[in-house]
Amino acid sequence: MIAARHILGTFDESLAALRNNVLMMAGLTERSLERAMKGLIDRNDDLCATTIADDEEIDQLEKQIDKDGVDILLRFQPVASDLRRVVSAMKLSTNLERMGDQATTIARRARKLNQHPPLPEVNLIRPMYDQAMSMFKDSVDAFVREDVDLGCAVVTRDEKLDELNHEASRTLIESMAKNPDQLRGYLNLIFIGRCLERVGDHATNIAEDAVYAAAAQDIRHPSLTATT
Amino acid sequence: MEELVMETPEQTVLERLEQGTAPAPEAEIPPARTFEVKNMSIWYGEKRAIDNVTMDVVSNAVTAIIGPSGCGKSTFLRALNRMHELTPRTRMEGTVLLNGKDLYSNTVDPAIVRRRVGMIFQKSNPFPTMTIGENVVIGLRLNGVRNQKLLNERLERSLRMAALWDEVKDDLHKPGTSLSGGQQQRLCIARALAVEPEVILMDEPCSALDPIATAKIEELIYELKSKYTIVTVTHNMQQAGRISDYTAFFYMGRLIEFGPTTKIFTNPAEKQTEDYITGRFG
Repeated sequence: MIAARHILGTFDESLAALRNNVLMMAGLTERSLERAMKGLIDRNDDLCATTIADDEEIDQLEKQIDKDGVDILLRFQPVASDLRRVVSAMKLSTNLERMGDQATTIARRARKLNQHPPLPEVNLIRPMYDQAMSMFKDSVDAFVREDVDLGCAVVTRDEKLDELNHEASRTLIESMAKNPDQLRGYLNLIFIGRCLERVGDHATNIAEDAVYAAAAQDIRHPSLTATT
Repeated sequence: MEELVMETPEQTVLERLEQGTAPAPEAEIPPARTFEVKNMSIWYGEKRAIDNVTMDVVSNAVTAIIGPSGCGKSTFLRALNRMHELTPRTRMEGTVLLNGKDLYSNTVDPAIVRRRVGMIFQKSNPFPTMTIGENVVIGLRLNGVRNQKLLNERLERSLRMAALWDEVKDDLHKPGTSLSGGQQQRLCIARALAVEPEVILMDEPCSALDPIATAKIEELIYELKSKYTIVTVTHNMQQAGRISDYTAFFYMGRLIEFGPTTKIFTNPAEKQTEDYITGRFG
């Protein structure tokens, strides 16, 4: 939805700058997750190193978005949909920064795995990655397009990711028992799975914030809705 | 050797918090209403200033009326104490009930209405020839009160309620106009309170004041609402958000939206309201 322009042009400019920084941060985070995963699958240390180095840029954008958000609150005192967009953008940046941290952790673990012979169990990670990334992309899309239905749909997909992580962890623990020499490798894969599960949690948070920004509906913790 | 013992704190943070927790509220009951306005329309000559407005004003709460210039906010406010009738060629349709009684009944004296429903204006207007003390009690005097003890009591109480007593108690004999703008406005509030109204109407009471004086008036409004019903017109969105419990948005004489202030300023139901409060109007 394209809202009508504000009478105060600088307000529109500030909101647009905030939104652009969020989109840039989302783009960088997506690229980092892709590189970390490629570094794991292709056993490419350079990609892992690039992912770790790029985290600084994501952290910098988080600080910039917080600063810009506070600046808008201070200068323009936004209300209604403007207020919701600013608050959601600031919350989004926090989730994106943590996703960037997960990408860094995946890259560090991948680099350790790359020092040893490849483990076939690395294939267990792929479906989790696909699920987490599709949730991430759709959650950002829901924010950009103010699509309430898409945002709500992302939230329901987190359960599948949790199940995939649970299954992968169980298989990896069984592998540890069968092949104790590769204990460290399996542990690294378990931690990578946990990182992707956390990526799904952050995507869920982003989707919830997207729904709030678009429709002022708080869909978090549905079990509490009846009592509050 | 002394034995080290880890002592359990007497109370946990949660326990301390619980001690200060009020009992759970009982089932929600609809709030009492001071004004019930039904199908109000007002004309100045041929021009229709208010167009079929129906709205309740909740008791012991602050209701803010917002809207662009010329939307009918002040006319609506003035109609709540029949002050708009002072403008020539004014005509009104509809009903206004004040605590269930028709404000516009033929048997009702407008002067009595204005005593029950006080008004504070945009620009402070103390009587220039009167002292601070005389300004406060003039309403009582005009209503025939001659008892000096009662007048003195009401003078102090009104000035205390208007948060002005400490600042002027030694200068009651000085002209009202010797006070600062913010103090003059609080003096006018004290003057309105002296006749013990049921409602206080405020027409942009802070628009001519600096931020400190504005904050004092806003604090005063917050304190007064426990005893009075307050309706205020304001052009300041942030002020409406800070001080009011309910907000009404008027546009071209019509009531576009009315509801709890939190709802209006986070998720208004009407696009016109959203466009106005977010600064997209026009």
